[in-house]
Amino acid sequence: METRSKTIEELNAELEELQHQLFEANETIDAIRTGQIDAIVVQDQYGPQLYSLRSADQAYRVFIEKMTEGALTLNKVGIILYCNSQFAHLVGKPLSNVIGIPFVDLVVTKHKKSFQDLFQRSWTKDSRQEIALKAGKDSIVVQLSAAQLEFDDGKTMSMIVTDLTAQKKTQELLEDTNLQLARMNHALEMSNHDLQQFASVASHDLQEPVRKILIFSNLIKERCNEDIPKECGQYIDKIVGSAARMKTLIIDVLNYSKLSANQKEFHSVDLGAVVEELLEDFELIIKEKNAMVTVGNLPTIEVNKGQIRQVFQNIFSNALKFSKEGIAPVIQIKAKRLKEKSFSSSQEANGPFCLISIKDNGIGFDEKYRNQIFALFERLHSKDSYEGTGIGLAITKKIIEKHNGLVHAKSHPGGGAEFLLLLPIEQQNE
Amino acid sequence: MNAKKILLAEDDFDDQQFFYDFLHKREDVILLPMVENGEEVFEYLMSTANQAEMPDAIILDQNMPRQNGLQTLQLLKKNLQFAHIPIVLYSTYADESFFTRSAAHGATLVMAKPATPDGYHKMIDALIEAIQSHEPK
Repeated sequence: METRSKTIEELNAELEELQHQLFEANETIDAIRTGQIDAIVVQDQYGPQLYSLRSADQAYRVFIEKMTEGALTLNKVGIILYCNSQFAHLVGKPLSNVIGIPFVDLVVTKHKKSFQDLFQRSWTKDSRQEIALKAGKDSIVVQLSAAQLEFDDGKTMSMIVTDLTAQKKTQELLEDTNLQLARMNHALEMSNHDLQQFASVASHDLQEPVRKILIFSNLIKERCNEDIPKECGQYIDKIVGSAARMKTLIIDVLNYSKLSANQKEFHSVDLGAVVEELLEDFELIIKEKNAMVTVGNLPTIEVNKGQIRQVFQNIFSNALKFSKEGIAPVIQIKAKRLKEKSFSSSQEANGPFCLISIKDNGIGFDEKYRNQIFALFERLHSKDSYEGTGIGLAITKKIIEKHNGLVHAKSHPGGGAEFLLLLPIEQQNE
Repeated sequence: MNAKKILLAEDDFDDQQFFYDFLHKREDVILLPMVENGEEVFEYLMSTANQAEMPDAIILDQNMPRQNGLQTLQLLKKNLQFAHIPIVLYSTYADESFFTRSAAHGATLVMAKPATPDGYHKMIDALIEAIQSHEPK
């Protein structure tokens, strides 16, 4: 029992000793970490041993030597006390020719003054500045970051030198590209403007002779009806018909070209009211064809009213035009709100988009033409069977695109056609 | 009912001819000597001392040399002496902006140039109706 309790005392003493050593070791580590000491002496069985911090110091030296920036220290009067080889490389001199010279000697003449300012300023406040350094026959633009360092043996100035040549080149390249882009943009705008001007003038001036052809042909028929042979009367009808067609074509081309102009005026418009107005315009032909039109609840959305009216007009007149012979046209218009700008989007009560469907029971078309029908002057039928210029749906598509929307057509021959318009409820202001 | 005196400003010879051919037989209108542009409209109005020769309405073609229809319309409406005269603006190419701008500047009627004799008659019918609705009863 006696021996055992003694052992516990011994162990307690040992523990105390170990705790003391641990405390000392922690203190030492803290001192090293905070830079209070740079060497420690440890007494071991071979006598006192010196452990310096050489290893840590060396790591920094290697780091500074390897880094891609120039690094140097200057004394009070700006003489280079130390620099890494990267800096020597930057200014294109051997390392031995750089150390010991005043830094200002390496600065291009016109920047000497601003360097001196920076040098003075940096003794009290870390500063940075772009300046040009001599590098052989050339000069390079660098960024100088200066900070004062205080050691036991006095104050020095440390500087990091970042080569901005590549950055400057990229910047210049970017500016150059931007300038070119602006120039091209301007040229494009001009050419667009010219094109519109041309379309407008051409269409306008073309309308005059067409109108004269119409009037004079009609006058011949009216005033000389009995004197002209029947055959010639038919020729005159053809002239009138062609002139009328030409007139429509001119107006359609003009309308299409006008859409290129950047008219982005959107207002809140009740689509239901637009469709209602339109149905009044179509009243005659609706009666004539005995057509049935059902209109669902249509939303109020931000559009260019005149343009969106044209969209409905084009699709509507197609639905009436391409009806099946002997079958009364049935046209259904309805709308729903969508979550996303996609035809496969799910429905959402107050979603940011709306999908408008205009469905008919007409002759339809092969779905392989579903994109083609929106191209300018594209027609699926001869103009003798169905009149038209082939511009209507091209205008429709362009207008919908101007409204940041999507248009899609679904059909199969004999199975009617469905036009889908996907439009945002609100337009983003540009 | 007095026949209405109508002044036409039109530089196109054919259109002057149509205007005369189709309308000169109407008894409800008197066709005043035609002029060829906006400046001549003012020359005509200024030199007409006799109230009996003052037009009851003026028809302006939009595309005329020197002073087009819209410019002439604006000048007429600014002139206290002539601002009351009903003005018709017509053009071969009458788009939406032509309609809205003309109406905004006080045109009584805005229309595309008629392409048939019937069209000319309808234009005059509408004009006479407009003049009468403006006349003090």
